[in-house]
Amino acid sequence: MSPSPSSLSRRTFLAATGAFGAAALTACSDLTPGASSSDKSSTGPVSTAVPADKITLVVADADDTTMTPGLLAAFREQHPNISVKRQYTGWDDYLKSINTTMSADSAPDIAQFTSGMQNLVPGRLLLKVGEYGKAYGWAGKFPGLDQITLTPDGKTVGTGDLYGVGAGLSFEGVYYNKAKAKKLGLTGPPATLEELEALFAKAKNAGETALVAGNLDGGLNHPFNVLLSAYLTPKDREAWAYGHKGATIVLPEAKTAAETLLRWVDKGYVTPKVNGVSDNDATAAFAKGEGVFRISGNWAAAAVSKGLGEQAGYFNMPPVTAGGKVRTTGAGVYYCVSSKSRNAAAAAAFLDFAAGAQAAAVTAKAGFMAPDAGAMPSQSGLIGDVQQGWQTVVTDAGLQPFIQNSSTPTMGDTLTTQLQLLVGGKATPEKFLAGLQTDYENYHK
Amino acid sequence: MTTAHRRPADPARASAAPGPTKRGPDRAPSDGRRTARSGHRRRRAVASLYLLPALLPYTLFAVLPALHTAYLSLFDWDGVTLPSFVGLDNYRRIADDPQLRAAAWHAGALILFFSVLPICVGLVAAAIVSRRAGRRGTGLVRTVLFLPQVVPLVAVGILWRWVYAEDGILNQALRAVGLGGLADAWLGSFTWALPAVGLIGTWVVSGLCMVLFLSGTQRIDQEIYEAARMDGAGPVREFVSITVPLLRPEFAVALSITVIAALSSFDLIYITTGGGPGNSTVVPGILIYRLAFGGGGVGVASALAVVLTAVISVAVLVINRLSREAP
Repeated sequence: MSPSPSSLSRRTFLAATGAFGAAALTACSDLTPGASSSDKSSTGPVSTAVPADKITLVVADADDTTMTPGLLAAFREQHPNISVKRQYTGWDDYLKSINTTMSADSAPDIAQFTSGMQNLVPGRLLLKVGEYGKAYGWAGKFPGLDQITLTPDGKTVGTGDLYGVGAGLSFEGVYYNKAKAKKLGLTGPPATLEELEALFAKAKNAGETALVAGNLDGGLNHPFNVLLSAYLTPKDREAWAYGHKGATIVLPEAKTAAETLLRWVDKGYVTPKVNGVSDNDATAAFAKGEGVFRISGNWAAAAVSKGLGEQAGYFNMPPVTAGGKVRTTGAGVYYCVSSKSRNAAAAAAFLDFAAGAQAAAVTAKAGFMAPDAGAMPSQSGLIGDVQQGWQTVVTDAGLQPFIQNSSTPTMGDTLTTQLQLLVGGKATPEKFLAGLQTDYENYHK
Repeated sequence: MTTAHRRPADPARASAAPGPTKRGPDRAPSDGRRTARSGHRRRRAVASLYLLPALLPYTLFAVLPALHTAYLSLFDWDGVTLPSFVGLDNYRRIADDPQLRAAAWHAGALILFFSVLPICVGLVAAAIVSRRAGRRGTGLVRTVLFLPQVVPLVAVGILWRWVYAEDGILNQALRAVGLGGLADAWLGSFTWALPAVGLIGTWVVSGLCMVLFLSGTQRIDQEIYEAARMDGAGPVREFVSITVPLLRPEFAVALSITVIAALSSFDLIYITTGGGPGNSTVVPGILIYRLAFGGGGVGVASALAVVLTAVISVAVLVINRLSREAP
């Protein structure tokens, strides 16, 4: 056993540590957080001329499909003087590290923008691209630019300055197993939510899992979001998702949505012990042939199509009343520009490139909906069905934001927790909605 | 019986006895004291020079960031914009937070799974393995038990997610023996998620405890065992009366390491449940992560980290104090 340190050395050690600590803390004025944010977050007059000198654009993204790398490669082909360096990070880690990434002196020129990144706006880490937008005419080229228009405090979406463009758009709908659905007597897409639920009941009676889902990481947010899209008025939905002052989700229509989801679980339509299954495992199980229906986004189309092949089918989430407009939940893969970028003109040129016909082919191939919908090459099979569904969503102007995306930076975690409590029988629909509202009010004080 | 009980206790006392005599230099006669002191001091200065290469990176990458965290805990900061100084407000917020109290309870419960159970398992395993030393297969058993310690915790988490899944090995085993009624999606159950995650910890840490205790038993003089055996002590009596009391230093080390692992647990829980279902497996580490990187609450997260560090330090200090006292 080692002898205990003598009192002298211990005292010296403590004194040294103390002195060191004090010195470090006085030096902390340099470490004062946020001091590095730049003031140069807006541009002067801009032109659409692409710089001709040799430039390297660094692009940070979390897009695990072929879209972003495909777009970058196509852009490079058009501008050989611009090299591109891609920094890919997995979705969860991307969200958790983006604040530090964008605060660093070595911030990427372009970053994928997503929920939880609103703080970058008051931190002046994102370039206001409104001037470029005017020069390039983005308003006519990109649908849904309001999803990336934010107030100076970053808390409200849909008004304020433009911070990027939505390149590939995603949306949610219902996948189904054609062979099993045929046995249940499904001939065409159900016309109403009630009809869909009747199909669920039939599936259950046939001994099948009607709706394949996983909620270990909050995957029930997909059915919940589309149910909200169906029941809630677009006005209430947007006010809440976009963080308007005084907005609430404690509404009768939202309660109906929550009750519907809970009923599906309680009646045994949903994957049993859903809180113990992860969302990815649910997609994998469905693709392997388990269950009849699955509510998810177009990003899952490739995996489902690969697994089920000819038997993979898709239809849009039906409305509440027959003949009603199709409404669903979706978002885009947004690209924004760092305020620290020295290559803003080249970055803006890439953003504009994403709206073009050449980009549309790349975007469509990756399973996303291109801003220039007319330029998307038509595809067969499941991806073709999904694309057809998208045309209806566009015609009905039915794309609505995810409630966890813009409302607050913490809403993703909160929604996961609350959904687990709801379907685990630990929270009533009222308490569930109140839990979401509490998070909202803590942020929009 | 009584002799068998008393005799092994004697060496334990004998081994504890040299303790005070080791502090000899402090009791040097007064006239020789000054020269002894200055020489002692010079030697210490030279010794600290040798420490520099280790101390420098440690200061740069552990001490300074820790101090910076303490500094940040005094601010309301979202991680991006200019912070505002709030003094001890973040600490007050922590004290008021019910979610945090739940997290503290869970961390406490994890001590049972990360410390108490592994130490018990490790002790029994060490006793069995040491008695079988040299025989065939013992090395293999030792390696297998230690293996979880070598696998990265993230991999361990993913592995056990499959084990605990609705159609995982555990449920398959239960169904195979006719206990299918007990099958559950363990990580999604409000009742079972915390014990399920805890048992993964037990599985990981037990091997480390066993190796610690094994090295401890090798330190114990074989003559003591022989004497006990001559007095008619069986394996159980040997274990209870010799092995356990003589392993006090190893106990302290094992307890320190495992209590730190329990209180600062993060990776296992993040991978397996993420704190769910609901908040039933939320621990301070998860909350710190959520607040700092997801919720823009860097100040509160830092305050929580400081409190957690303080709690762990106190726990380790108490463990070491208790272990040093004579029996």
